[in-house]
Amino acid sequence: MAFKRTPQVFSASINEVTLGTGEKAVTIGGGNTMPLYSFDAPPKHKVAIGVEITDTGVDKTLPGMAAYYEGAETLTDIAKRAAEMPGADFVVLALDGADPNGDNRPVDECIAIAKEVADAIDVPLAITGSKNVEKDTELFSKLAEALQGRNVLFVSAREENYKTIAASAVMAYGNKISAESAVDINLAKQLNVLLTQMGIQPTSFVMNVGSAAAGYGYDYVASTLDRVRDAALTQNDAMLQMPIITPVASEAWNVKESIVSEEDFPEWGSRESRGVSMEICTAASVIAGGSDAVILRHPESVKTISGMIAGLM
Amino acid sequence: MGKFVIIGERIHCISPVIKQAMADMNPEPIIQRAKEQIEAGATYIDVNIGPAEKNGPELMKWAVQTIQEACDNVPLALDTANRAAIEAGISVYNRSKGKPIVNSADAGDRIENVDLAAANDAIIIALCSKAGVPSDNDERMMYCQELLERGMEHGMEAEDMWFDPLFLVIKGMQDKQMDVLEFIGLLSDMGLNSTGGLSNVSNGTPKIIRPILDSTMVAMAMCKGLTSAIVNPCDRRLIETIKSADIIKNNFLYADSFLDI
Repeated sequence: MAFKRTPQVFSASINEVTLGTGEKAVTIGGGNTMPLYSFDAPPKHKVAIGVEITDTGVDKTLPGMAAYYEGAETLTDIAKRAAEMPGADFVVLALDGADPNGDNRPVDECIAIAKEVADAIDVPLAITGSKNVEKDTELFSKLAEALQGRNVLFVSAREENYKTIAASAVMAYGNKISAESAVDINLAKQLNVLLTQMGIQPTSFVMNVGSAAAGYGYDYVASTLDRVRDAALTQNDAMLQMPIITPVASEAWNVKESIVSEEDFPEWGSRESRGVSMEICTAASVIAGGSDAVILRHPESVKTISGMIAGLM
Repeated sequence: MGKFVIIGERIHCISPVIKQAMADMNPEPIIQRAKEQIEAGATYIDVNIGPAEKNGPELMKWAVQTIQEACDNVPLALDTANRAAIEAGISVYNRSKGKPIVNSADAGDRIENVDLAAANDAIIIALCSKAGVPSDNDERMMYCQELLERGMEHGMEAEDMWFDPLFLVIKGMQDKQMDVLEFIGLLSDMGLNSTGGLSNVSNGTPKIIRPILDSTMVAMAMCKGLTSAIVNPCDRRLIETIKSADIIKNNFLYADSFLDI
């Protein structure tokens, strides 16, 4: 008997969320198949790649990074270079310097920096904060006002501060937010319920269900992603149909393999290639798990992952 | 497994308000009752227009369009003995949120409703009975098979046949309750969907007792594999029980606010 292929296409689908404005705006989500199952139905939107830059400058200890950003001295130059990176869909400004336990950069300075980046690029902008709940609450609220009308994505609002951030960033100034939960599917859903109950439209927010670098508890991330997509599509769970964005760079470049120097671990080889490998492995895994956008840092990772997306979607 | 399907039973011509609204073709009370039930958690809304011998087709068409237009094309169960009315209702039915349900067929006089559902790509509620209450589960299973065969002959998918085990009233048939539950288990083992008029179990008991008996019965029946029931969604205890059982069965992902959604 001849093999009859039955496409597994669901009547439910992931919400579509648009970032940025104008010609270079990017829409993510829309999928109604299992991740990367483009043989079941053509994907509505490709997985988007955000290129991360930070307010603390380019890590020039990495030769590949230094070479790519060579000659880019100001934040404007760096932002433009990131936006032009082959495979980049949007730019992510990581305000690492805002961390109260670090440089504790004042909110006003952060606003000036964010405006400079936003003015330098025509692709969409996402902003990650200090990871400090109190600081990010104030930071995102003020940034949302300063960047009104640009449809910026703020990563992320958490259980402790979602109300304030959602009220200002989304309701008052029309930007987008991601709802962050730390690899906890029940909390991920709960946060989506709470945001929805506030009146936030499903097209105005995405999820960050957490991540871990490959080898650092990634199995929990894998099962969380699988279960989110499964509930969204097979159970038509509207409270889990938000597209997923995964900040890969901040995880992948912060594990031992990406930090220790070649001098200390000569047998491990080049630090840069280790970090790139961690970034690529993690990004490929979260995309296979259903992530609709990833945040990457290194041009080599962006090139590889964008090639993978082009080949599979 | 998907979520338990709650079919709201409150648009019924036995209710004086609904009866009057249907007589006058007054949309307001009907829309209001549909909205209340959706808000309370109903997936499908049952539309019982009674025998409607005089103006059945016209009335059902009007009811279907009135409710669907006002309630974002909520899926409906068309509930009447008047077959022409069911067909008329389906002819104007919007399927974007789900197929229509024909309520209902049995293995006796009403077996032709299976054919009607098949011809119209509808879901059929198939009562496992012929005339009166089946005496035991062997008899129920015999009717189930007859109905299933009839559906297959007419090209229905088994998943579109929702078998009704016939819930029985506790006051009078207390000794038969476990039979019904076991039959639900048999249907579930066969991979078949099931539904039924659940509140029948508490008929004639004090008002304060009914939600308790109905809730307990639905929990026990869901444990056996019941996939749907025709109930009053405005019974809060019952809906909370169904939602909780859906969580325990892993039909729906837990979140702290699961009772609110």
